[in-house]
Amino acid sequence: MSDELFLWLTFILIGLATTLPRASFIVLGSRVALPAALQRALRYAPAAALAAIVFPDILIVAGEVQPLNPRLAAAGAALAAALLARNPWLPFLAGMGVLLGLRHLLGA
Amino acid sequence: MRPRLPPAFVAGAREGFRTFLPLSVGLIPWALVTGMTMVSVGFTPLQAMGMNVIVFAGTAQLGTLPLIASGAPLWLIVVTALALNLRFVIFSAAIAQGFRGVGRAGRWFAGHLLTDGVFAACAARMLASEDRHWRLGYYLGPSLWSWLLWQACTLTGVLAAGAIPRDWSLEFMATIALIVLLAPMARVRPMLLAALVGGLAAVLLRGLPLKLGLIAGIVAGIAAGFAAEHRLTAGAAQGERR
Repeated sequence: MSDELFLWLTFILIGLATTLPRASFIVLGSRVALPAALQRALRYAPAAALAAIVFPDILIVAGEVQPLNPRLAAAGAALAAALLARNPWLPFLAGMGVLLGLRHLLGA
Repeated sequence: MRPRLPPAFVAGAREGFRTFLPLSVGLIPWALVTGMTMVSVGFTPLQAMGMNVIVFAGTAQLGTLPLIASGAPLWLIVVTALALNLRFVIFSAAIAQGFRGVGRAGRWFAGHLLTDGVFAACAARMLASEDRHWRLGYYLGPSLWSWLLWQACTLTGVLAAGAIPRDWSLEFMATIALIVLLAPMARVRPMLLAALVGGLAAVLLRGLPLKLGLIAGIVAGIAAGFAAEHRLTAGAAQGERR
């Protein structure tokens, strides 16, 4: 399969993995109900998944855990901006500013 | 010939749009970042907009882009997208009553358009209305606006990204976007624990084959959050008894 075709297949499958959960109960109506315990457990899925994607990205440099690196500092700045300010642009400005600034200072 | 829309549908759509309009401004940076990130991982404008129309979900798109870029196996990409979208099952269950009297095709269409923003802003009043035309209008008005705004601003991001040098590491904007999504969740104690356990497990287990560490991290995070919630509620119940 060509890379192009594979990419579009990927889009379609991600699309299904999005529309099916969204449409699930709207389409099924009240005929089916999710067990309460499962509903409560599922609430933690997005936070766990987001962190499982973000943490390796900001803690690992060249395959090793690296507690001091520009990406982690940039992530810290973005997190602080997201928690303390209401401006939706600020986390992006703070994060990218710290990342590019530190890289410039370190000459990397 | 254009079928005439029931007046209650139009009134509902207008009211929903008015409720959602101020909140919808928050979509703009997201859409711009999503557009720029898709270009930064190497998509052509056609591929980027194709993904945007097919998927129509910022979190699922931003969350899977790093995996697509690193050549992760397809099943892992799909499972990750499912995990990021599981919240919609809960939203869908919560809002389903609002669609009584709507046909199957309409329900699929409405389901495809379900977003966090419209659910948060409109679910309560929608469910409280007795008029099915008004309810559907009140849901579809802001949902269609949200779709249009999302596509237009993502396209702007896609076109703007080409003008920015590669060594600016724009792909890190996706990580920042995920952090912005994570930040409000982490204010709740069990949710914070779910995130910490999920993230650290994914780091520690990164050596597992097929990137299974990511799935293991997600499962560990869910388990930790659920267990913490149980302990908190059990503790509270005991406190009341004393």
